[in-house]
Amino acid sequence: MPEKAVVKGLAAAERLYQDYGVRARELKKQGQKILGYLCAFVPLEIVTAAGFMPFRIKGDVNEPITKADTEMETIVCPLVRSCFDMALKGNYDFLEGIVIPHACDSICRTYDVWKYTLNLPYAHFINMPHTTGDSSLDFYRDILNTFRTSLGRFAGKEISDQELARAVELHNRQRAKVRELYELRKASPPLISGEEVARVLIAAISIPVAESIELLGDVIEEVGQRGSTPAPKKARIMVIGAQVDSIAFIKLIEDSGAWVVADDLCPGAREFMSSVDLTADPIEGIAERYLRKVKCGRTYREMKGNYEEDLEDRFGHMRQMIDDFKVDGVVLYIYKYCDPFGFEVPQIKSYIEAKGTPVLYLEDEYSMSTIGRLRTRVQAFLEMLG
Amino acid sequence: MTEEKKPEERKKRRTATEAASKIGPMVKAAIGGTVQAREEGKPLAYSFICCCYDEIIRAMDVIPVWTENYAGVCGAKRDAQRFLERAEAENFSRSLCTYALCGLGFDAWREELGEMPPESPWGGQARPDMMLGSGQMLCDPRNKWYQAAQQYMPDVPVYDVGLPWPPYEDDYDYREVQDYYVKYIVAELKGLVQFLEKHTGRKMDWDHLSELVDLTDRTWNLIWETYELRRAVPSVMGTGDAMNTMVPMVFMMATQEAYDFYQELNDELKHKIANKEGEIPDEKYRLIWGGGLPSWFALSDFNYFNSKGAVFPVEVTYRMIEATYNFDMDLSKVSDPLEHIAWRWVKFWTYWYDRARQRPGSHPDVERLIKYIEDYKIDGIVMHEAFSCRSWHVGLIWQLNMLKKVYKDIPSLILESDIVDISSYNEADTKARIDAFIDTLEAVKSR
Ligand code: SF4
Ligand code: SF4
Repeated sequence: MPEKAVVKGLAAAERLYQDYGVRARELKKQGQKILGYLCAFVPLEIVTAAGFMPFRIKGDVNEPITKADTEMETIVCPLVRSCFDMALKGNYDFLEGIVIPHACDSICRTYDVWKYTLNLPYAHFINMPHTTGDSSLDFYRDILNTFRTSLGRFAGKEISDQELARAVELHNRQRAKVRELYELRKASPPLISGEEVARVLIAAISIPVAESIELLGDVIEEVGQRGSTPAPKKARIMVIGAQVDSIAFIKLIEDSGAWVVADDLCPGAREFMSSVDLTADPIEGIAERYLRKVKCGRTYREMKGNYEEDLEDRFGHMRQMIDDFKVDGVVLYIYKYCDPFGFEVPQIKSYIEAKGTPVLYLEDEYSMSTIGRLRTRVQAFLEMLG
Repeated sequence: MTEEKKPEERKKRRTATEAASKIGPMVKAAIGGTVQAREEGKPLAYSFICCCYDEIIRAMDVIPVWTENYAGVCGAKRDAQRFLERAEAENFSRSLCTYALCGLGFDAWREELGEMPPESPWGGQARPDMMLGSGQMLCDPRNKWYQAAQQYMPDVPVYDVGLPWPPYEDDYDYREVQDYYVKYIVAELKGLVQFLEKHTGRKMDWDHLSELVDLTDRTWNLIWETYELRRAVPSVMGTGDAMNTMVPMVFMMATQEAYDFYQELNDELKHKIANKEGEIPDEKYRLIWGGGLPSWFALSDFNYFNSKGAVFPVEVTYRMIEATYNFDMDLSKVSDPLEHIAWRWVKFWTYWYDRARQRPGSHPDVERLIKYIEDYKIDGIVMHEAFSCRSWHVGLIWQLNMLKKVYKDIPSLILESDIVDISSYNEADTKARIDAFIDTLEAVKSR
């Protein structure tokens, strides 16, 4: 790979970001089989263990949604519609199949639309439970084993425990690297901008996991070697939302004079902060992580204790991050028609505000034009933070 | 809110059946009953329809407060906007399920006042002692709504029951996985019983539960047989009425009253068929309501269809039953009541899977449409896309595309509005679209 030898770190991330899927296309030519997936709830370890390269399907805020509407209602969340539109327009024509988890209504209710319209050789729906009790965990293990068998059948082999354990270890290494990258954001001013982090993480979900570990390592090294520290800015911001797969919104905040130093996003802290425990049956650890450790509104966490304790259980990690990354203000950035996050807005907002951190709630429609319209509100919020 | 400012109330819709006309007062009495039960200190639980645990709450003598129903009533009375606005002021997006928004807005207001908001429709929605979510698979609001409501009622506990069913997949048959689905549902239902026992201080009477499970089976079968009578030409009962007659099915299941209601409806329909008493005098087009919840504030649109000679002898919406004797297993052999409920649930949701396998490239939802189109001699299909509910309103366009691909091209119309939010509704536009659709039907007929 001649260009790989030259283009490294942030420059490589830029290339992968600008031409999303470029690496998958190259690898496809070399015979690599690629499975597309939506959302952070597909257990990638199983995909990797089966010998496939997992590829995150993303949308494009710059591309007007035109084709999707002939098959999919406009009441689906705009992110999913954009992803589907990109797929229909042939951007992901290197995929061998798709794996779609039961994340939210927008994803669950469109599974058949994806499956029948794209008509790829492989499609699978991971019917992940929404509750986290012991019976749900048992059930989820069964669901994962059904996926394991199904994908094994497609791959023409049984996925062994050893292969799974190796994949777990590999994905955990990637997560550890992302956590290392986040450490660079703790400095004041942060050693790496929010825009750069977003770009690297988006790039990372479009390449094989082993390559992403290398990419992250290169970026960390490169940032460490930077001569000058960046200029100080007005405020340190955390962004909370669903899948934000474009740098546009983060950039808007940073262009308005603040640093984005923390997040609870996908790709981002939500999906990279927790790892899979190495268990005798690897499915155990995988189930535990995706059902209980990844904290997302799509999962209903059983109430333990009183209401205050419940809020702490659901959102405590956000407050922790606010403390650890010295966040001055939070932007709650939610798409229209997003049910899991939409219902949580008032609770997240009041929870964080009660801890003394101001919150700006913005509803958006996932398009460059609407993102632009948010600029004044972001600026006013930053002014208010002083 | 003063009388003058009150939005225009819906005119009472003309029903074709006696049975349907009785529903309004029944719902009103049920809602009033919950308010009274609250005063009497009886245990009340917020609940979702089609939750599959009707028998359990009935057996525990817990009174269900159907929150979707109350929102629908506010919608039908064209008095939901103030609750929707209240929810919006609380930072809930207006794009979320408007049943939920209406309910949350109402709850926020009631809790703030410590009493029902002024002039609440039909006496208001009573404060619950418990909230019973149903985690997957019907919709996200079923997980999230009651959790969100806790910010107004932090003392009211929630139990979220996991209720999945196997998806329809190409590379494995649902029978390969059904056992673990049933096992899970049983465990979740056990958890529900424990939760109810804990919060009511009562014990489950398992024999009584078994009786109610049996009553529910019989009610399902009776409903199925009754609705099948609607195959008659001319049509004796349309979807407009079915949007009323669904009430005992989804709000009163596991009660003798529900069974008796369908017995009466059954008798009435048979009588009409014997006398060739159609719902309208000159039936020209037979339509299927092929998907979507109705706009509760605009049910009189069904009368508008009628005025153009169109009838709806069948719908997929709120036909949440199948004849249990048509299942591929003998349900009556499952004596454990919780297992029985779980199997009925799984068999209901997978009912059309085998048919779909027989037609290459087909899908259960499409097969169901095809079967109804043939059985009920259907000329056209009408759907409604309610913007705020993804659960029942996504996949409609695709189903129509599929229908065309695997079956035939049949005239279709997708109306766009909402279940509760009247600001999404344009009467003139709706009528114009119905007129154009009727023209299409006419053109196809006279070909
Ligand atoms: S943004 Fe919300 S609705 Fe859209 S895919 Fe993510 S969780 Fe689902
Ligand atoms: S989203 Fe749809 S199915 Fe769910 S509660 Fe709302 S109206 Fe009912």
